[in-house]
Amino acid sequence: MEKSIEHIWKHGFDTENGLIAPKLNDLYNRKSKHIVDRFKRMFKFNMWFLIIFSSLFLVYSFFNDFLFGGVLIFVLFNSLVLVNKNLFKSLKNIDTNVSSVAYITSFDTWLKGQVQMNKKLAHFYYPLLFVSFMLGLWFSGDGQAFVSEILGSPHQIYLYNGIPVFWVIGMSVVTALLAIFGGAIYKFDLYLMYGHVYKKLDELMLDIKELNN
Amino acid sequence: MSSDFYTLKILPYAGIIIKICRAYTDSQEDFEDYYQEVCLQIWRSRDQFRGESKWSTWIYRLSLNICLTFIKKKQKNKQHVNSGEQMIADTIDNYAFADESLNLLYDAIKKLSEIDRAVILLYLEEKSQKEIAEIIGTKPNNIGVRINRIKERLKKLLDGKIN
Repeated sequence: MEKSIEHIWKHGFDTENGLIAPKLNDLYNRKSKHIVDRFKRMFKFNMWFLIIFSSLFLVYSFFNDFLFGGVLIFVLFNSLVLVNKNLFKSLKNIDTNVSSVAYITSFDTWLKGQVQMNKKLAHFYYPLLFVSFMLGLWFSGDGQAFVSEILGSPHQIYLYNGIPVFWVIGMSVVTALLAIFGGAIYKFDLYLMYGHVYKKLDELMLDIKELNN
Repeated sequence: MSSDFYTLKILPYAGIIIKICRAYTDSQEDFEDYYQEVCLQIWRSRDQFRGESKWSTWIYRLSLNICLTFIKKKQKNKQHVNSGEQMIADTIDNYAFADESLNLLYDAIKKLSEIDRAVILLYLEEKSQKEIAEIIGTKPNNIGVRINRIKERLKKLLDGKIN
């Protein structure tokens, strides 16, 4: 009598020892590569975002009487891109032919260095971004009209040698605060946007280290 | 992934993952690649499991989807425009089970379309029609008819080969 497919299936696997799972030798190498590739994509995306955004903003500023601010922001963002592009180049020096532990540890060291460098820069570029924006506003058509208006009615605002004192103090305070907390703002920003990927990297490193102990 | 993730969450279902991967591969090398890919994807997608279905159902679905995607990619890479049936015929089956009847059944299953392979694998794993429909993403009332049709096809393919 011919066996049913159900019988073949059940009986075949009852006696079959071929259901032993293959060893996952390569799994951690793949995972390491996957997470590093994800970071690489993120960096590239960020750099292209800064380039495109600053370029579009430059064009916008040209047509909307904000050119001074547009140029400053363009220069600032693209300087940041150049710095990060150089940092990104050093990522290529990481040897991919080593074990997953060595690879992911080298990458983590590189990443920490990259974050540290950007954290230091953040103490400058956040205040510079604010100043660029405010100067752009100041030198815009609307800004100049506003300046003429307040200079034309000095009784409405406290001026010292033609300088609006409280306005300058306010700007200086904000700039100083951004300079002081720039690093913290950068880290907050970074973890808000990419915290989940950083968490996965930490988990993976912990995992690989645990398995190698 | 916690170090226990593979042992606790994947290994208990390794049997079905192996059976599914075997149905979509023709060599030990491919099989190991598919198996690792499935495990990796389960780990990657674990946060997407929201508990709306059983973990095992989710594993079935994911394994099938990964194998189907993988096989499509492979077909594309090899620029195979032929049907799965022709493709299987062209490949050499260089890995096999100890049970000859099981090998013949697998050979016949591999001659089915990719979706029919998934349906029959789930049926043979004694999944209910509702579960099969849920995993495949179709209506349960279509499944019964489809299973009968696949069984008929398999019977024809195995005709006289197994006693």
